Amino acid sequence: MATSVEPRLAPGTVIAGKWNQNRYRIERLLGEGANGRVYLVERERVLYAFKVGADAVDLQSEVNVLKSLAQRQRGEEAFLVDVDDYKGTDGREHPFYVMRYVRGSSLSDYLNREGADWFPLVGFHLLNKLAGLHGSGWVFGDLKLENVLVGDYGRAQLVDYGGVSEIGKSVRQFTEIYDRGYWSAGSRSADPQYDLFSYAVLCVQLFEGKRLAELTRTLLPQNRVPEELMKLIQGNPALKPFAGWLRKALQGSHTDSREAAAAWQRLAHRPGKRRRTRTPRWMRRLLLGSALLFAASMIWLIRTGL
Amino acid sequence: MRQILLITDGCSNVGVSPVVAAAHAQSEGITVNVVGVLDQEEAVDYGAPEIHEIARAGGGLSRMVAMRELARTVQMMTRKTVMHTIQSAVHKELQQVFGATSLEELSPDKRGEVVRVIDELGETSPLEVALLIDTSASMKPKMKAVEEAIHDLMLSLQARQGKSRISVFRFPGSRHGAECAQVLEWTDSAAGLPSLFAKITMQGTTPTGPALMHVIDFYRQDKYGRDNREETDGMRSGNVG
Ligand SMILES: Nc1ncnc2c1ncn2[C@@H]1O[C@H](COP(=O)(O)OP(=O)(O)OP(=O)(O)O)[C@@H](O)[C@H]1O
Repeated sequence: MATSVEPRLAPGTVIAGKWNQNRYRIERLLGEGANGRVYLVERERVLYAFKVGADAVDLQSEVNVLKSLAQRQRGEEAFLVDVDDYKGTDGREHPFYVMRYVRGSSLSDYLNREGADWFPLVGFHLLNKLAGLHGSGWVFGDLKLENVLVGDYGRAQLVDYGGVSEIGKSVRQFTEIYDRGYWSAGSRSADPQYDLFSYAVLCVQLFEGKRLAELTRTLLPQNRVPEELMKLIQGNPALKPFAGWLRKALQGSHTDSREAAAAWQRLAHRPGKRRRTRTPRWMRRLLLGSALLFAASMIWLIRTGL
Repeated sequence: MRQILLITDGCSNVGVSPVVAAAHAQSEGITVNVVGVLDQEEAVDYGAPEIHEIARAGGGLSRMVAMRELARTVQMMTRKTVMHTIQSAVHKELQQVFGATSLEELSPDKRGEVVRVIDELGETSPLEVALLIDTSASMKPKMKAVEEAIHDLMLSLQARQGKSRISVFRFPGSRHGAECAQVLEWTDSAAGLPSLFAKITMQGTTPTGPALMHVIDFYRQDKYGRDNREETDGMRSGNVG
């Protein structure tokens, strides 16, 4: 049942679905991973993301998850658009599915470009996405930097549903450093706390990536414990305000992910504490503007002789 | 479902060929996976051809990996083999029920249903993994990594809904000529997995083939295993489609 990986599809190639007869034009490769390749494609002037799997069963598993999500999350714009097969140049059938194209950049690129001030808000969006999944009975599983895309105004979106697992079953796919079991902090059973743990590691990865890599290289397995992650958190100015929240995530003591997201948001709004590196340009302009305005009105007052 | 996972770093040098032994295992419905552990600096994997052949004969997978990759590899191989075993069983059903020779011939809707069943069985079917560890002298610096991998595997298996257990064997068994010895009885819990190889002397030959035969025998005599197989068979003839 395994499908061989089709040679890369060249831009301009037109793919016709066997069952639903939709036609897609390949624009470019968006990314590739262990489970397949994702292309940007166009159909009737709309852009989509098009995934070809290396294994028919794995791909179908993802489709099953996406379908079931679509059923439980009515109202939202559909993520899964089409499921079909095409005949490759090698003469074989290749299963694929089509999803909404998520315009966005990686979390680290986004924060580098727009500024670390966006971090608390992006984090909140991401936590809400996770809470949404949890509410429908699923756990994301393989949460890591590579599987998050950020769009305008810090809207985070999850991609790669290969790790999504039903609550109560085993986590289907995970990445060591984000894995609760790897840090001797709990099981590999799918529960909402599993994702929140990975989320905490993701935060560390974002701001202390180098030190985290160092840790995983040097720590003996029996010393791989959440306390080591906490040390990195405490030492980082961007993470420190969230230390209490992150500790709970690492210990699995957030009981409800909606509530956890709300708690995160409250921290994000807490005034003062966070140090401002520099006054943003718009604020400087505004300040300058009001100073000028003030001077002008003084002059005007003096001129008119009160 | 029964698997043997062989972890070694070299070539066998006594007794029956491990390839023959692996073929025996396969004929008894036991899948043999093989991981070759490389030293950090070791560039040449001189045991590779044998390792691949053993796995091929045993219907399983083989990989050569560095120590730091060991845990992840063992975990992934076991999982893949579970899925593969289920898939071949379901494959037979496909032919009978739908007259289809491959998943791709089914309409997307039917395919979704079949894969749902595959996933379900992969999660719930009982599973036994016998780990067979090469403890000849050259493996000595790698035993910490091996222990970690065993621990990690147990962690993954514990999360499954189906009954899962592991047992650990080592070869050679002792200085006095035994080819293989059990160092850990069947267990389904990672809690307090003892330090398995702390006290043993690591020396002697590499009787990979005879050790494999020993583990096959062990499976054969194991009553629990027989009950287990009946359970799996029951599920197979069940609800596909
Ligand atoms: N809907 C989408 N919109 C835009 N880009 C996407 C979309 N889905 C996937 N991508 C891009 O394609 C890349 C690979 O996709 P995906 O992670 O699904 O593949 P994979 O083979 O399952 O990878 P992995 O090895 O991480 O499991 C992603 O990292 C992302 O950059």
